[in-house]
Amino acid sequence: MSAGGVVSLSRRSISNTLRQPQMWVPSMAFPLIFTALNTGAMGRATRLPGFPAESFLDFAVATAVVQGVLFGATAGGSDMAVDIQDGFFDRLVSSPVSRPTIVLARLAGAAVLGAVQSLVFMAILTAFGAQVRGGAPAVLTIVAVAMLLAMAIGGLSVAIALKTGSSEVVQAAFPVFFISLFTSSAFFPRELMSGWFKTVASVNPLSFMIESVRALIIGGFHVGDAMRALAIVAALAGVSLLLSLRALRSRLAAG
Amino acid sequence: MSKPAGAASPRAANVEVRGLVRRFGSITAVDGVDLDVAEGEVFGFLGPNGAGKSTMVRMLVTLLRPSAGAARVAGYDVVKEAAKVRRVIGVALQDAALDPLMTGRELLRLQATLHGIPRGHVEARGGELLERVGLTAAADRRVGTYSGGMRRRLDLAMALIHEPAVLFLDEPTTGLDPMSRISLWEEVRRLNIDHGTTVFLTTQYLEEADELAQRVAIIDRGRIVREGPPAELKAQVGEPTLQVVVPEGDLERAAEVLRHFGEPAPARPDSLAVHLAGGAAGLAAVVRALDERGVQPVSMELTAPSLDDVFVEATGRRLEGAQADPAVPAP
Repeated sequence: MSAGGVVSLSRRSISNTLRQPQMWVPSMAFPLIFTALNTGAMGRATRLPGFPAESFLDFAVATAVVQGVLFGATAGGSDMAVDIQDGFFDRLVSSPVSRPTIVLARLAGAAVLGAVQSLVFMAILTAFGAQVRGGAPAVLTIVAVAMLLAMAIGGLSVAIALKTGSSEVVQAAFPVFFISLFTSSAFFPRELMSGWFKTVASVNPLSFMIESVRALIIGGFHVGDAMRALAIVAALAGVSLLLSLRALRSRLAAG
Repeated sequence: MSKPAGAASPRAANVEVRGLVRRFGSITAVDGVDLDVAEGEVFGFLGPNGAGKSTMVRMLVTLLRPSAGAARVAGYDVVKEAAKVRRVIGVALQDAALDPLMTGRELLRLQATLHGIPRGHVEARGGELLERVGLTAAADRRVGTYSGGMRRRLDLAMALIHEPAVLFLDEPTTGLDPMSRISLWEEVRRLNIDHGTTVFLTTQYLEEADELAQRVAIIDRGRIVREGPPAELKAQVGEPTLQVVVPEGDLERAAEVLRHFGEPAPARPDSLAVHLAGGAAGLAAVVRALDERGVQPVSMELTAPSLDDVFVEATGRRLEGAQADPAVPAP
């Protein structure tokens, strides 16, 4: 594997996303709009007994970051599918660059965009009064979580792209990611849920990751929370990396 | 020709194919192909759509695994030494796959890095190739704005970035206008003459194979039906036709002379035609004989059989306009 190959291909992946505003504008705008709406509509929910934060905006920072990354990181998969459809993938595969590099560079590109996205969200929401109480260590942890989450989501969508070769299928898989977010404690604390919803949210790994990130924002920096968030998202990223490399191998073997 | 396997020894930039087969389900797209392309040769792989040309190229450039048989490119096995093959080949596949969001210069830079060209040489090499294919002015424009001809030229430049020993061009001029086609031909010819690059070219255009290739193989339904230099293949099909235009009063005398040189062929009213037995070499004798009888031809034209005639003779069908028939009909 060549470092030059990874860097060049990641750079291409990043600049291609940035050159298609439809690929990143929604993933920046929607989470912010959601945050504004939720904070306006549910601001007084903080008064409910058991609500973990004093300000709804503080509560919503983690949601915005995770939602944005979830939205944005599927671009890697769609672009990969387009490469396959256009034949650019064949060009890469017939060059001497090692084949896993092609996948790893996509994920590295997604990770960089995830990092930028999380920093932008935190900056904007802080400007509107949100507070990251965990300070710099919390911010760094959140950036790392965003990067790993981008790799996890990017990896799954790249795996789907490699499996199907169709950008439509990659986009069709998007609601699955979205539902997994909505059935987590992203938008409301688990403490205030009940019934089946609480059961689902309590087995959804995204819940635990978001809650740990949120704890860093509203409660201050605790190594335990940071480790838990990183461990969950690293495990997801690892599984999805394996899936994408396996999908790569089976696509190449089929060739 | 056996070569020592030492890493430093220069390898022959050739292609050797033995009994190559590729099946897709019940369809056999390439059905037991043997061929040899010598170092420094432009080899034309000619056949109608769906004959197996692209499948063949995809196997040679390591994108597709053969179902049976073996192939070596520059001495490396395309399956067992695929990574080494990829290092020595240049590939421009059909439907030039270029990223429309990137500029020509960026794409060349990317390709150079993928081929491990040292960072310090990347810009110079890219600039030199852009110049050579006439894209310097368009280098910083996104490829999405390029014309078909510009894309093909950029594709060619990308395939050449690492000075490959063997260049594979899959239908490089399909869909191009005549001017772009000719300029691409010139570039390929120049490459072969100036740099000695071995070129494996697939085409469905007879003219292209005739113009560029020193040797051609004609593939039909996955099998090679003819192979050799175009002139030889055409000579095998039959004699060239000699068409002679003479002043009206001389027609009869001329016909009498020509009768000795071969079977008469259909001709325009003011002229005579004959299938020249013994080929073009007999032309001088015809001129002398006409002169002896005092016939002054207005013009003489010798037409060789075309590669299309070769294709017809081999398959019973015309190549030009031949439709994509399945390699082998599914049972």
